[in-house]
Amino acid sequence: MKLASLIICIFVLSACQTLPVITQTTPPEKTASACPNPFLKQKTTLIHAIEVHMPGGIKNAVIGITEADPATRAISCAIMTVEGMVLFEAIETDGSLDIRHALPPFDSAHFARNMIEDIKLIFFEPRGKIEKIGFLPSGETACRWRTGNSDTVDVLKTSGGLPEVKRYSGSGKVKRYIKFSGFTGGFYQSIELRAQELASYTLFMNLVEARPAEN
Amino acid sequence: MRRSQLSFLFILCGIILAAAFPNAYAADAGFEELRKNAAQIKTIQADFIQKKSMKILTKPLISEGRFYYTAPDSFRWEYLKPLKSIVINHKGQTKRYIYSGGKMVEDQSGGAQGMKVILGEITSWMSGKFDQNPSFKATLKEDTYTQITLTPVGQNMDGMLQKVIITISKKDAAVKSVNIIESETSSTVIDFKNTQTNKNIPESIFQDIE
Repeated sequence: MKLASLIICIFVLSACQTLPVITQTTPPEKTASACPNPFLKQKTTLIHAIEVHMPGGIKNAVIGITEADPATRAISCAIMTVEGMVLFEAIETDGSLDIRHALPPFDSAHFARNMIEDIKLIFFEPRGKIEKIGFLPSGETACRWRTGNSDTVDVLKTSGGLPEVKRYSGSGKVKRYIKFSGFTGGFYQSIELRAQELASYTLFMNLVEARPAEN
Repeated sequence: MRRSQLSFLFILCGIILAAAFPNAYAADAGFEELRKNAAQIKTIQADFIQKKSMKILTKPLISEGRFYYTAPDSFRWEYLKPLKSIVINHKGQTKRYIYSGGKMVEDQSGGAQGMKVILGEITSWMSGKFDQNPSFKATLKEDTYTQITLTPVGQNMDGMLQKVIITISKKDAAVKSVNIIESETSSTVIDFKNTQTNKNIPESIFQDIE
């Protein structure tokens, strides 16, 4: 019985990870402007060539079109094949998701919601309150947001000066890891998103085109 | 997704193959003549520019590529920009390649069974049989250009395809463009240039991906 309790305890404890420690320099409200900010500054339409890596070594390529407005946090997005067939098209405004077109397996609300959340994490500054600003033990500049849904988002700047975003679950597990690189013409040319889910996936996004969107 | 994706690709290839028989329509002879002349075409190669229009796009997304066909059923449909990809059908095998990690790799996401079904479906197009595929209703229109309009019959292409308009020049009988209308707000126009027929195409085109 004691052994069983011990095993359960070890299992539970190992499932709970802790967030990396941020050594705070000054109160967050005084240094918020020092946070890395790889996010969009204005409403923009972006086209990305996206490599999708799925479990089992399966790879696919699609074209992603995103219109994102950081002021309203409204998103319009579409996924299409290289050949031009639209697989998915949706709009989210004020938290209301409208799936305009979706072919299986993109026709589930879960997929759509996850995709919109990924897009927001990539292009929008996190919502919520900045909890800490400082440095990680490994030396990166880090700003930590506590979002409304018990998740934590760290926005980092590596020693090479490149921004990264990490979203942690309430138990401290990394759910999303985003790396930005190749800043040219006001936009990051390459974005890599690693998603840790039951079925994990990685997106390699290469910018094809970006331009300010009409209001 | 795979089957839908490949359906679209093969529909597209089939339409283009069927439409790319330049001499077939020269005599103003209708579908029967078109079918008869299609048998004389042994190879086709062309460059293409694809313009994708959608509501979300303020201007069309331009893709460029190259297309090869050798009778009876070898084809290579290759995108060069903005995203490299190749579909090759040769000796009964269909493979799709995508650009990953700096090289072309085979798309392993499945769908081989779907490919076989779809390839069978488009065989009639490859033979120039516009009006004999029960999945489509074909109509002809004569104006400055000759237009063939293919409209899906039944519901299996709902949400994927509304109609296809193939425009053929009367002057040189060459296919000018293929307009694939998926919905009121989404269409794909493919403009062809440098089209050559019955010019030797090495078999390696259907074997090598680089």
